[in-house]
Amino acid sequence: MIADVISTNKKTAFLFCNEAIVRGALESDVKIVAFYPGSPVSEILDTFYQISDKFGIKMEIATNEKVALEIVAGASMGGQRSLIAMKSVGLNVASDTFFSLGYTGLNKGCVLVFADDPYCHSSQSEEDGRFFAYNSYIPMLEPTDPVEAKSMVKAAFEISEKYQTLVIVRTTTRINHQSTIVPLEPLNRTEFSKGSFRSFNKKYATVGSKARELKLKMLERRDRIAIEFENSEFNSISEGSLKTGVIVSGVSYNYVLEVCNKLDINPPILKLGTTYPLPIKLISSFINKLDRVIVVEELSPHLERQVKVLAKDINLQLEVIGKDSGHFSEAFEYNIPIVFKVFTQIFSGKKTTHYGDIVKKAEELKFILPVRIPVFCPGCPHRATFWALQRAVSGKTSEVALINDIGCYSMLLLNNKIYPKLNGDDVLLSMGATLGTGSGISLAAKEKIISVIGDSTFFHAGLPGMVNICHNNEDIIVLILDNSITAMTGQQINPGTGYGLADNKTKINIEDILRGIGFKNIIINDCFDAKNCIPSFNKALEEKGPTVIISRGPCALWEDRNKRKRGEKIQPFFVDQKICRKCHTCMRDFYCPAISMDNQVMHFTDDNEKEWSGFSSHISPKLCDGCGVCSIICPYTNHEARSEKDVIKIYEKKREVRHDL
Amino acid sequence: MTYNLMTCGVGGQGLMLVSNLIGIACADFGLNIRTAETHGLAQRSGSIYTHVRIGEEIYSPLIPYGEADALLGMEAIETLRYIEFLKPDGVIVMNNYMWHPVQSTFDRVQDVANTYLSIKMIMAQLEKITKTIHLVNATEIANQTGNPLTSNLVLLGALVKTEGFPLSLNQLQEIVPKVVPEKAINANLKALLLGYENRK
Repeated sequence: MIADVISTNKKTAFLFCNEAIVRGALESDVKIVAFYPGSPVSEILDTFYQISDKFGIKMEIATNEKVALEIVAGASMGGQRSLIAMKSVGLNVASDTFFSLGYTGLNKGCVLVFADDPYCHSSQSEEDGRFFAYNSYIPMLEPTDPVEAKSMVKAAFEISEKYQTLVIVRTTTRINHQSTIVPLEPLNRTEFSKGSFRSFNKKYATVGSKARELKLKMLERRDRIAIEFENSEFNSISEGSLKTGVIVSGVSYNYVLEVCNKLDINPPILKLGTTYPLPIKLISSFINKLDRVIVVEELSPHLERQVKVLAKDINLQLEVIGKDSGHFSEAFEYNIPIVFKVFTQIFSGKKTTHYGDIVKKAEELKFILPVRIPVFCPGCPHRATFWALQRAVSGKTSEVALINDIGCYSMLLLNNKIYPKLNGDDVLLSMGATLGTGSGISLAAKEKIISVIGDSTFFHAGLPGMVNICHNNEDIIVLILDNSITAMTGQQINPGTGYGLADNKTKINIEDILRGIGFKNIIINDCFDAKNCIPSFNKALEEKGPTVIISRGPCALWEDRNKRKRGEKIQPFFVDQKICRKCHTCMRDFYCPAISMDNQVMHFTDDNEKEWSGFSSHISPKLCDGCGVCSIICPYTNHEARSEKDVIKIYEKKREVRHDL
Repeated sequence: MTYNLMTCGVGGQGLMLVSNLIGIACADFGLNIRTAETHGLAQRSGSIYTHVRIGEEIYSPLIPYGEADALLGMEAIETLRYIEFLKPDGVIVMNNYMWHPVQSTFDRVQDVANTYLSIKMIMAQLEKITKTIHLVNATEIANQTGNPLTSNLVLLGALVKTEGFPLSLNQLQEIVPKVVPEKAINANLKALLLGYENRK
């Protein structure tokens, strides 16, 4: 918790890894930080957001990772220690600048924390970001847990200043989303004061002949760092009694230690923490004495291939167990059972483990379970928007193609079964890709394209695509889902939110941008007025040329937080089951997690003596967020003049907003 | 000795507070702990879990299958979903509460013959792994505290009384005020105590 992150008297604290990373940066006297949120590192941003004022840290939630990297690089050039954190795919966006920084180097300590996401917990690809380090000649450290993550952030600042380069601390989701007891060291903060960029007398320009000159210097820098890393405290060898050894890095180190304990074996283990440049001599001396080595690393066989290259020169007989040998997979993340299986096979010759039986038995018990896929929250504006859109495209499904993008609305893909007319699983590539791919499909195919994009994604990577659409008069509908916040990653502010860390932020208005670009056809909808949005969708579907629909309504979680700040409560709705006609419209068309079907058959006779029997719907007052859209959809409720005759009514009691929001 | 606890529920139920309380208590009372949590996408009313491992000889943040001493379920369907982590005859503390996923409602709307699961059906499956199942009316008890959002603390209170749990009620009572917002301290303490007392 925050109190521990900033504690000045505790010697240790239970910290979430992303908090430990912040603590490491605080202890290193970081002065400027910049981010674009992304799981699994969003909480680094969130933690700084709460403490930056207190410590005089200048913080920006930038429009995207490239801009954020340029900010921290500039801060380093200007003479301040700086830090940035981003998810793996964020570095793809920032990579143009990133590679140049390898050449130019930097000045004051500058640390890049980037996190890969094996298993794609919340990413579009299982990318192995370690290749960025190799390709850019930028040094990289890889922690095994929160304690080491904090130490490495501190060491990274020192290495960065000593060698005048950006330094990477590379994590994975399982590292970032771990908590443990972390030692705290003194904060030793100094006052912030601006220096002089000119006083350092350094140049950061690279092109042509200058780049060729810098390349040679960069290689020389890499070699000097390699010598230092040979003796790094982050690499360690535990001696063992066997001729089969283990080479491991990252979170897998923990699995290896525990599996060795379980099997009561004592192989020599080389744990690597400096993974670029690799400590070649250390690895060579380790494998020199072995008959066999098991390389345990998630994703690509990266270390494994390096070990093979080294073995060619010094130990030709060495057998390498890893992914190439078929023992480990390049897919998904590891755990104890996966490592256990390979180790039992190698060390005892057995091919099966009891873990397989446990899972099999559990599967047999779990066949009754329904899936629980992440869905739009109760009160989510996207549910209202997609309800209206699904009505509008009804009957035209074959003539329309919706192009998805990155954000909460990505969940359309997971929930395709409940939004069958939208086909939200057709295309989803990367931030802002909806605009370019939508344009391309509209050139190639006859379907009317609806490119969906959120407000934060619009600012992040949407602007070039929007200019392109307007300039080329693409025949396309751009549906901007403006919930005024970067919702998926935990509701961080963005340029459209209107207020930020300090009062000196300028709210950027999306429709002003669109008008400035030259869009003529701009429709602005209040998405919670769901029925009245349908005609505008219908009209847009008939238009030729570019049309933009801004579907506006605040993120439910964000609005709940604001309600709590304003001292307001949530006003839920409820179903009057005595008069519910059991038509199931509120469930069939809306799919709100707060609405379920009752288990008891009920009967109702209306004024015309018509009988209505069946299972009525039920709104959970604990879950309902009070958006009221179900009461608009209900054919037996008049939301414009509410009365006793309405089936969906306002609930008698309000409730508090969750305090953990 | 290692104590492994698997907790699970639905995004938005306040599961993270439980592992946070345990973690901060461990830090204050000198126990080693490591946890692995779900964040991000799954929090959107999805299935969520936390691995909690307490003891000297722990390395992996994840509990191996079949090695959790206890399974704390904030919701019945999710409790069964993580059953492979519980050791045979391990302890289950489960909320007597079911939050039907939207996907089940979808199936039911298509055909009302597709019934929802019941707590009884879940219990029948869980009983094939263990006989030690504490079904807690956490929602009802939480309402008695005046703050219905405290069912997580009710369940934690019930867990404290089970065999092997390495922290005492007093220790947790000491930690709660340091972690929850001031306004919610009393309700949370009351929930913890009621959960503890109600567990037979």
